[in-house]
Amino acid sequence: MSYRVRLEMFEGPLDLLLYLIQVNEIDIYDIPIATITEEYLECLSRMQELDLEVAGEFLVLAATLIHIKSKMLIPAEEADGEQAPEEDPRKELVERLLGYKRFKEAAMTLEGFESRQQLLYARPTDPSPPTAEGPLEVSLSELLRAFAAIMQRAAEASPLEITPEAISVGERMVALLDRLTLESPLPFSALFGGAGTRPLLIATFLALLELLRRGLIRARQSNPEGEITVYRIMEASEGGDGHPA
Amino acid sequence: MDTLPDCNPLAILEALLFVSEAPTPLEQIEEVLEGHSKAEVARLLADLQERCRREDRGVCLVEVAGGYRLVTKPELAPWVQRLRGSKPVRLSRAALETLAIIAYKQPITKPEVEAIRGVMIDGVLKTLVERDLIRVLGRKPEVGRPMLYGTSRAFLEYFGFKDLSELPTLKEIEALAPNGARKEAADEALDETRKPE
Repeated sequence: MSYRVRLEMFEGPLDLLLYLIQVNEIDIYDIPIATITEEYLECLSRMQELDLEVAGEFLVLAATLIHIKSKMLIPAEEADGEQAPEEDPRKELVERLLGYKRFKEAAMTLEGFESRQQLLYARPTDPSPPTAEGPLEVSLSELLRAFAAIMQRAAEASPLEITPEAISVGERMVALLDRLTLESPLPFSALFGGAGTRPLLIATFLALLELLRRGLIRARQSNPEGEITVYRIMEASEGGDGHPA
Repeated sequence: MDTLPDCNPLAILEALLFVSEAPTPLEQIEEVLEGHSKAEVARLLADLQERCRREDRGVCLVEVAGGYRLVTKPELAPWVQRLRGSKPVRLSRAALETLAIIAYKQPITKPEVEAIRGVMIDGVLKTLVERDLIRVLGRKPEVGRPMLYGTSRAFLEYFGFKDLSELPTLKEIEALAPNGARKEAADEALDETRKPE
């Protein structure tokens, strides 16, 4: 194995395994599990040598490979003690690999469309009129006051609460963004519409604050006592996505 | 209601497309133009498209994401980039893979995508939602009621599709891909994967 393997080259354990299968010109339907397991583990240990933290996902697949290898070592007669003909222990892995491979190729096709499309420039979305003090045009205290009013209403709305539902602020952020993408601007109170439970309302409010902080949405108020309106900001900027190309 | 001045419909059409930030559906053009049938509007669009083909024109008319829009010609991209001082940022491979799975298998939940890719996708998913390329379609009626994701209209625009049916089938992709030996077995599994709109 003379090739150098770098973890960041791979999008995950299946990607690494596919790579090993490809460079060794192995038939994906007849993987020599012992050899490939050895190579796979060697790649992982090399990554560790380089002080790269091997993600848990890579280790999970290593365990799967070792498990398959051990299963294949057991003679067929003994293995199928109670069951009829045992299926190939590699079957599930092969299916996963094929499934992944298909979408990896689809991703490359999309990449082709992307580069073709990126040569065409359309009119950029007009940014909302810039403001002096950043995205938070309504002060926090005003937002809190508006939220307190909503919480007051919620208290009388649902006196009986039994099933606690786990609510994540992240999910609420996604939901809020989605809502505002479909329809923007929306009045502040509309974002808390429906019979929301208190935890749900709180999570939604926290999500709103986080989105404001990240500059994805914007809150405005036409006059000091008026209704707060929330806008979705369509970014024309293509900020990095946290993944090196 | 004041009456509108008498103007060349082709000129009006160009003006409408020039100011539009998103692809404009034919129906909307028809509505604004008033007094022109759908077929007439379609003819105007074809006419404008034809005129844009001339070498001395910098923009062309494309049909994308259920509408029409003016875009700069691809061969002029270097100049536009020079003006902007930047090239567009491309999606990471992780983002493209995730997007591909969501595009073909929508509606799909996060754990289902993770099972196919074999990695966690929280970060990528967030990026894709933030870039508007995917959206929440609803919740799956099962334990935990996980959110179901699908592609957005911005997805169509980003990749230049008129609608989802323009997405190449996985079969077509596989046929193009190198070393695609022994595809028959895979093809069966993939038939149900394809999701026309």
